[in-house]
Amino acid sequence: MGPTTVPGNASTTPRAPGRTGVTLGRVVAAEWTKLAGLRSTWWVVVGTVGTTAALAWVLGLFARSGDGRTAASLVVAGHLLAQLGPLTLGALVGAGEHSAGTATTTYTAVPRRLPVLVAQGVVTTVVTLAAAVAAVAASALVTAGTRATAGTALDLADGETVRVLAGFVLDLTGVALLGLGLGALLRRPAAALVSATLLLVVVDHLLATNPGQAADTARALLPGAGTRLLLDDAGLAALDAASLGPHLGAWGGGLVLGAWVAGVLAVAAYRLRRGDVT
Amino acid sequence: MTAPTLPRVVAAEWTKLAGLRGPALVAVATVLVSGLLTFAAANASSVDPGFDPLDSLTAGLSLAQVGPLVLGVLVGTGEFSSGTFRATFTAVPRRLPVLAGQTVVTAAAALATAVLAVGAAVAGLLPAARSRGIPLELTTHGTPQVLAGMVAFLVGLALFGLAVGALLRRPTPAFVAVLAVALVLPIALMLATDVAAGPTTAPAGDPAALQSAVNTLVTLLPSGAGALLATPPGAGGVEGAPDLGPWGGGLVLAAWVLVPLAAAAARLRGRDLT
Amino acid sequence: MIEVTALTKRYGRTTAVDGLTFTAPPGTVTGFLGPNGAGKSTTMRLIVGLERPTSGTATVDGRPYAELAAPLHDVGVMLDARSAHPGRTAFRHLLGLARTHGIPRSRVDEVIATTGLETVAHRRAGTFSLGMGQRLGIAGALLGDPGTLILDEPVNGLDPDGVLWVRGLVRELAAEGRTVLLSSHLMHELALCADRVVVIGRGRLLADATVAELEDGGSLEDAYLQLTAGAVQYRGGAR
Repeated sequence: MGPTTVPGNASTTPRAPGRTGVTLGRVVAAEWTKLAGLRSTWWVVVGTVGTTAALAWVLGLFARSGDGRTAASLVVAGHLLAQLGPLTLGALVGAGEHSAGTATTTYTAVPRRLPVLVAQGVVTTVVTLAAAVAAVAASALVTAGTRATAGTALDLADGETVRVLAGFVLDLTGVALLGLGLGALLRRPAAALVSATLLLVVVDHLLATNPGQAADTARALLPGAGTRLLLDDAGLAALDAASLGPHLGAWGGGLVLGAWVAGVLAVAAYRLRRGDVT
Repeated sequence: MTAPTLPRVVAAEWTKLAGLRGPALVAVATVLVSGLLTFAAANASSVDPGFDPLDSLTAGLSLAQVGPLVLGVLVGTGEFSSGTFRATFTAVPRRLPVLAGQTVVTAAAALATAVLAVGAAVAGLLPAARSRGIPLELTTHGTPQVLAGMVAFLVGLALFGLAVGALLRRPTPAFVAVLAVALVLPIALMLATDVAAGPTTAPAGDPAALQSAVNTLVTLLPSGAGALLATPPGAGGVEGAPDLGPWGGGLVLAAWVLVPLAAAAARLRGRDLT
Repeated sequence: MIEVTALTKRYGRTTAVDGLTFTAPPGTVTGFLGPNGAGKSTTMRLIVGLERPTSGTATVDGRPYAELAAPLHDVGVMLDARSAHPGRTAFRHLLGLARTHGIPRSRVDEVIATTGLETVAHRRAGTFSLGMGQRLGIAGALLGDPGTLILDEPVNGLDPDGVLWVRGLVRELAAEGRTVLLSSHLMHELALCADRVVVIGRGRLLADATVAELEDGGSLEDAYLQLTAGAVQYRGGAR
């Protein structure tokens, strides 16, 4: 057992020298250990990569030359479904502590609490970035044959191509952080998943099928606006031409998603900081 | 002797379901969403020259379907996510009556919710219809069948959620599976068709083949098949997809319920409960 | 040393802890007693900052728990045996905890050995029995070699061997000058390992005395039953 000290009536309990305290770096290391120790994490990564590549491959079977679409947009064509992976990851990380009952141990170890949320943001970002990059690579690989047949090249020196591929990675990361924020706020993975799916996909689709100025404006302000990051120039132009709402451009869409992420995380941080951990 | 008979298990499941706040909130939200969305859609199109209020009847379904799905998954996974299953299955060691009871209870709760939601949708049409002086004819032109189909669609989705939840047992995978198959995949496929086919050009050949393949696939997914239930007779199917009609759509949706439910029953019967 | 001063926690209209004041001094094992629902667990959660008090304070070594720089080294906590993620191994659970404080892997192995979990360290916590989960919880509390320990029902579900081990462990920790606050419903067990006893009922302090004072020639159990006679909220009826 620990060092032997003299029992007495001192008002503080004796403590050995040289003990180390909580630092943000250590909290990040701890969150990484926890995340890497869960099978669900690796299922999510595999699912994201697999979905992206599989959808791109299937759609690639139908792609032919002269259909007006870029190779990059084919690579990221599975995005809408693939984003469920990062979303699940974020929701699990954000809500997992509370739903699995580990919150008690975690927040007694880090009573300031906020470093845990920051660290969860860091590890979620890292895993999602890695998964998204792997997904792009896998998708590019399985569509290589199609691209050769269709005569469209994936040119990494081309600004638009790089923007679309990087946009895919960025949007997936933003979606993961939105999931994290909703998970930390709602404290139940299922509630976070359902509300995020509504925000990102279902409401967006509902508005898209009932176009109008109000609907188009609302669509542009939903987190789904982040998908503009991975639309190619022709796609953006088509979207803007059909929309009566604000024309955000690719990066503007990214900013809308970023604002949602920041807002939801801020509310989650407030609840974590001021509320009870139960 | 008071053995756990099926009616008792059903009663027990009902007690458990009614004791939770979640399902009740989901039901209320479903009814509200259905009414409000239909109202908004009818109002928005009431200025059109050829306005028929009944065209907006199913406008709220795409969002209202989320409620029954969630309800089903909550019932299907609830025992396992909370640890209650130990108590439940020591009380009913034959196990399968519990699944049957959950199915009955979910169908009943979804039916009540769906009837109210469809009622709310009809009520949502009234202001727009009255503003144009158009009477609502609910008994002609296949409208009764559409109303019944909407109810069946919502109940079917709840049972689909229950079946997947009971099969996978853990809420997160169950929700991901259900959301992906019923909500996201159809939209993803339709949008991806746009991407692959291009916005401007639609040459003959492959893009049309793609369109028809995607439409067929979407029709065979639970929400696509269920939507056929709520289509007026003779309206024809989606372009390029086989026209299954309301009954065919209902059968496809039933298969989406029965296959995972049978698998869940096999798992429940044959495997350890941990 | 744990100092609780005029601590109150309300949930809406329910008052779980009601103006509670007591001290757990270093070098002693303080037993924490009360009927079900008396507010013991809530008090412990308030001490370690999981819940915010409605009013009053709780401090460890003179500071609120949340202000401790290295809380795991100051306070070891075991509140709920089921606080490990069911999908994570015992080793991973402890390592994750250790990493928050930069505690080396070797110390994780040490506490696994101390609590007798070597053979199951790489099994998922969801497969653990109550007693194994309990040992895992104690391992987590010992991880930082803390000066203060807060243990909620630590012998719950342990085999007789484990009960004996926990008794020896807390005696040893107190003899080293550490503060131990331990709740239990097992009167005979507490009589054997606690020096002092704090009894609460309906969130209020009923007694704060040494075990010898309370026993006063009788048994601790008799004294407890007498003290809590008016404060039991949930009582089994005659059959």
